[in-house]
Amino acid sequence: MFLRLLDVPRRHILALIAALSLAACGGGGGGDSSPPPPPTAQPTRAEAGRFLAQASMGPTSAEIDRVVALGYGGWIDAQLALPATSHRVHWDARDAAIRAATPGSTTAAAGQEQIFESFWKQAVTGEDQLRQRMVWALSQIFVISMADDTVGNNTRAVAAWLDMLGDKGLGTYRELLESVSRHPMMGVYLSHLRNQKANPLTGRVPDENYAREVMQLFSIGLVELNEDGSPRLSNGNPIDTYGSDDISGIARVFTGWSWACPDWPDNNCFSQGSVAGVSDPNRTFKPMQGYAQYHSTEEKRFLGTTIAAQTLSDPEASLRVALDALANHPNVGPFIGRQLIQRLVTSNPSPAYVRDISRVWANNGRGTRGDLKAVVRAILLHPEARSPATDTSGKVREPVLRLAALLRAFDYRSDTGWWRVGNTDNPSTALGQSAMRSPSVFNFYRPGYVAPGTLSAARGLAAPELQLAHETSAAGLVNYLRDAVAVGVGANNTLAGVTRRDIQADFSAELGLATDPGALVDRVFARLLPHTPVPAELRSDVVAAVGSITLPTSGSTATALRNRVNTALLLTLVSAEFQVQR
Amino acid sequence: MSAHDRIRPVPELDAALRGGRRFFLRQAGALGLLAGAGAPLALNLLAASHAAAQGATDYRAIVCVFLFGGSDSFNMVLPTDSASWAAYTATRNQAPDSIALRAPGTAPVPGAAAGSPARLGGVLPISPIDAQGRSFALHPVMAALVPLFNTQRRLAILPNIGPLILPTTKAQFSLSTHRKPARLFSHNDQQNTWQALGPEGTTRGWGGRIGDLLASGNTRAAFTTISAAGNAVFLAGQTVRQYQLGTNGAIRLGADTAGNVYGSAAVTTALERIVSRSRGGHVLESDLAAVSTRAIEAEALLRNSLPAAGVAPFGTPPASGPYNAASDPLLRYTNPVTGTVDTNNLAQQMQVVARMIDAGRRGLTGVRRQVFLVSMGGFDTHDLQNPNHANLMARLAHALAYFDGVLGGLGAQGSVTTFTASDFGRTFTSNGDGTDHGWGSHHFVMGGAVRGGNLYGRFPVLATKNANNNNFDGSADQLGNGSLLPVTSVDQLGATLARWMGVSESGVMDIFPNLANWNASARDLGFLTA
Repeated sequence: MFLRLLDVPRRHILALIAALSLAACGGGGGGDSSPPPPPTAQPTRAEAGRFLAQASMGPTSAEIDRVVALGYGGWIDAQLALPATSHRVHWDARDAAIRAATPGSTTAAAGQEQIFESFWKQAVTGEDQLRQRMVWALSQIFVISMADDTVGNNTRAVAAWLDMLGDKGLGTYRELLESVSRHPMMGVYLSHLRNQKANPLTGRVPDENYAREVMQLFSIGLVELNEDGSPRLSNGNPIDTYGSDDISGIARVFTGWSWACPDWPDNNCFSQGSVAGVSDPNRTFKPMQGYAQYHSTEEKRFLGTTIAAQTLSDPEASLRVALDALANHPNVGPFIGRQLIQRLVTSNPSPAYVRDISRVWANNGRGTRGDLKAVVRAILLHPEARSPATDTSGKVREPVLRLAALLRAFDYRSDTGWWRVGNTDNPSTALGQSAMRSPSVFNFYRPGYVAPGTLSAARGLAAPELQLAHETSAAGLVNYLRDAVAVGVGANNTLAGVTRRDIQADFSAELGLATDPGALVDRVFARLLPHTPVPAELRSDVVAAVGSITLPTSGSTATALRNRVNTALLLTLVSAEFQVQR
Repeated sequence: MSAHDRIRPVPELDAALRGGRRFFLRQAGALGLLAGAGAPLALNLLAASHAAAQGATDYRAIVCVFLFGGSDSFNMVLPTDSASWAAYTATRNQAPDSIALRAPGTAPVPGAAAGSPARLGGVLPISPIDAQGRSFALHPVMAALVPLFNTQRRLAILPNIGPLILPTTKAQFSLSTHRKPARLFSHNDQQNTWQALGPEGTTRGWGGRIGDLLASGNTRAAFTTISAAGNAVFLAGQTVRQYQLGTNGAIRLGADTAGNVYGSAAVTTALERIVSRSRGGHVLESDLAAVSTRAIEAEALLRNSLPAAGVAPFGTPPASGPYNAASDPLLRYTNPVTGTVDTNNLAQQMQVVARMIDAGRRGLTGVRRQVFLVSMGGFDTHDLQNPNHANLMARLAHALAYFDGVLGGLGAQGSVTTFTASDFGRTFTSNGDGTDHGWGSHHFVMGGAVRGGNLYGRFPVLATKNANNNNFDGSADQLGNGSLLPVTSVDQLGATLARWMGVSESGVMDIFPNLANWNASARDLGFLTA
C-alpha cells in the first residue's frame, strides 16, 4: 500500500495519511470509510468566492464574509441548520391572488410562471443557499419536467416536488428514492401511475418506463462500477448492470400505484383519483398509494433479488424490497455521488475524489448509508474541491447559474416581490434553460457529454454543460444579459405609473465610481469574478471599453455614466472567466 | 434580378471569412490533424472525395429528421393484409385504452374520444410498386404523404431498420457471443448509435463524417453540417463541426442592427474581442470562447445571404407588420386531437433549412454539399399514446409535405434527400395505453432523387405473443414484446446517402466499417437515383 503512494498526487497523500492515522486510532468505524479531513485554515476571500461558486447559487460579498468568518465546515453547518421555505406556499398565495384579481374567471390560476417565480425568489434571496444549490442539482438528476403537458398543468405539485427535493435531498438517499418513486408527478412523467399488472389472457404487459429509468438514471446506471466510478471490467468489457429480464421483473413492482384518494382502494380512485367527484385536494403531490387489485402477484426477479409470488398482492412490500435493493447496490455511491460532484464542483473528478465520496456514501462515519448531508459536505470539503484550480478543473456554469450569479452579486430585487423571471427556454432570446423544464428525463445535458471537436474533447474530458453551448445560444445568452443589465429581468410591471421589468438592481454605488473606469471595473470584478483569478488582459480590455464612452462636457452625464456601468457589467458577464467555475 | 444583385459586399464579410478559415485550421491543428506522420486515413480519403465533389457543379444536401423518444412505427406504416392485421389488432387492442388503429375505409366516429382510433377513422392505404405480396397503409392523419408516395413518388419506406453490427437472425440474437449494438433499448445510447454508430460518448457522427470527406468542396467548411435543433452528434465529424442555426436565422451576438452595444460601436468591438478569446489557458474557457467566435463569424456571413422567410416559397407575406413564422398559415397544421390550427416547430426548422439550401444553391454561402438535422421530441409514448402519437404523426406529415413543397418551389427537390430517424422502434405489445422501448422501426426517405412509392427492405412478419411468455415465436422478425429485430442496418442507409452525396467507395467503407459485414450487393439500398 505504501508503494502505491508514490503514484498519488501530494494532496491525496496528505488525505491518505490522515485517513491512515485515523484508522490507526481505531476511530470512526475503520479507515476505509473515513472521509478526508476537512481543511482547517481560514479561507481567504478569493478561496471563499470559489467555494461559494460551488456551494451556492452565486457568491455575494456578505456570504464571502460569512465563509471567511465561519470557515468552510462552519458555514456548511450553519447552512444545514437553516429551515426550508416552501415553494408550495408561494404557489398557493399567488394562486389565491390571481383568482382574486380576476373574479368570475374559470381559468385564472397559478401555473408555470409561479414555479419560476418561486425558484428564482429562493435562488436569489434564500439564506439557505446550500439547500438551493442542492435542489437545483437534484432537480437535474431526478428529473420531472413541465415540458410534459400533464406535469406542466399540475404546477402546484411541481412546487411540492421542489419542496420534497429540499427536504429529502438533505436526508438519506433511500428516503429520497422512495419519495421520488412514489411522487405522483414522477408517476405521471414516467407513466407508472395507473400502470396495471399484466393480463395474460389478452396479452397486455406492464409499462416498463419507470422500471428502466429508475435503474438507468436514478440509482445504478448501465454498467457496474468500482467505488472510484470506473467501470468494472470482464475480459476488458464493461458489465451491464441489468438486462431485459431485470426490467420485466422490476416493472412488476411498479404496477398498481395511483393517486392518494379518500375512497382508496376503489377502482375509480385508481383510474381517476376520485369516486363520485370526491378526491383528495392534495392528491397531485401526496405519495402514490398501492392498489392491490392492480399490482402484479407474479414472482419479481431483478438484480439478483427475488420477490416471491404473492398469494395476496402486496404493493408496499414489493416496493420496499425493490427500493432497498436499488439503494443498497454498490453502484449508487459512485454513480449518483459522481453526478453530484459534477453538478457542484467539477465535470471531471479524479477517481480518488469519486472513491472518497463513495466511501462517505457507504458510511457517514456513524453507520448510515446514503446520508446526503454528509455526502455534500464531503464533496465540498474534499481536497480536490479546495486545492488550487488547474486548466481542466471545474465546470462550465450552466445558464441558470450564470443568471443567478448576476442577480445575487448585484442584489437584484423584484418590484412586485414575486420574481417574475418567467420562462427562459428560448436559446435565441433567453437562457436556453428553465428550471424544471428539461426536454426529457435525460436532463438538459448528459453527465458523460463530450463536446465534439473541442479542446476538452481532445483532452478526453466531459463537459456536460457544453451540450447547451452553440452559436444560437451563445448569442441569445449575451443578448439576454445585455438587456438584464440595461433594463432589468423578467416581465414588465406598471407600478406607480412607471413601467419597467420586475427585477432590478440598484447601481448607485457603481454609478458613483463611473467617472473612474478602473475603480468601476474593480468593483464589478469583485462582485462578478470573486470565484476566479482575473487576468490583466481582461481588466485592461474592460477598462478601455468603459473609458471609450465619453462623458459629455455639457448637459447631463447620466446616460453616459449608466452606459459605463452597463458596459463594465456586460463585458465581465460575457467573459469566459465568468462562465466557468474553475 | 440575379441573386447576387441582392447582396452588397460588406467589409466585415471578408474579415469574417478569413477568421473562419483560420479557425478551421486552428482547430485541425489543435486536434493534431495537420501532423504529417500518422495523419488519419480520413485525410487521405479527403483527396479522393474532394475531387468527386468538385467535379459536380450541382448542389446536394441530406436532411435528417430525428424523432426523439423512439417512434412507434407500428402505428405509422401498417401492413393491412389479413394475417398481419389480425395479429396487429389482437396485440394492440388492450384495455383501458386500445391503441389498435382502425382498418382502411373505417369511417371516423365523431363522438369518440379525441385522438382515439375510432375518432381518427381508418388507416390510409398506400400502393407500393412492389408490395411484397401484402398491402399497406399509413396512420390516418398522414393524408398529406399519401400522394407523395402513391403518385408523385418522392416518398419511400425503409421497413424495419435499426443499428446492427452484422446481419442477425433471431437465433443469433440470443447468443451472447454474437455481436450486437451496445446498450440496446436505452434512449440516449440508441440516439447516439443511430447518429454516430456507437453509444453515448461516441463523438463523431456519420453526417459529420460525410461532411469531413466533402467539406473540401465547400469554400466555407463552417457551413457543411448544420443543425436547426441544438447540438447533435450526428453532425460532428473529425474536422467538421456543426453550425447551429435558430429557426429565425442566425442571431447577432451583442450588437443591435446599427452595430452598437449600449449605443457604442467601440463597446461592440470590445465585447466581440472579450467573448471570443480566452485568457489563461483553461480548457473549458477556451471551448466557450470558440463557440462565440463561430457565432460572430457565421452570423456576419449569413446576415445578408439568407433569403427572407416571409416570401414564397418559404412563407406567406404578412398582411402587415413584420413576418412571424408562428402565425404563417403555411407553417401551421391542424391538430388532430383538438381540431385547432397550431404552430408546427418542425416546419419552422424546415423553413430555415430550406432558406439555407436556397442560399447554398445560389452560391452565397460557399457550399456544394450540406448535411442538416432537424428534430421533434415526444415520441416516447409509454402512455397516452393515442392522442400524443396522432399529434406527432400529423406534425411530421405536415412538415415533410411543407418541405417538399418549398423545395418544389425552389426547383430543388432533386438536390435534397430527407430521411427520418429515431432512438428505436417500440414494442408491438401494449401496456394498456402505450408502448415500450424496442429496436427496429420503419422510416421514410423523401426527395426528388428518391425512387419513391416503394419499400426498400423486407417488411417484417407480425405475429401474436406466446401464451406463456412475452416472446413471439410466430415471427422470425420479432423479439420479446414483439420488438423488431432489424433486417436493414443504419449503416446501409448511411452508405446509400453518402454515396449519393459523392463520397468515394473507400470513404463510405471508412465511415461505415461494419458495412464490410454485408455482401457488396447489399451495401446500397438502391432507393436513390445516381
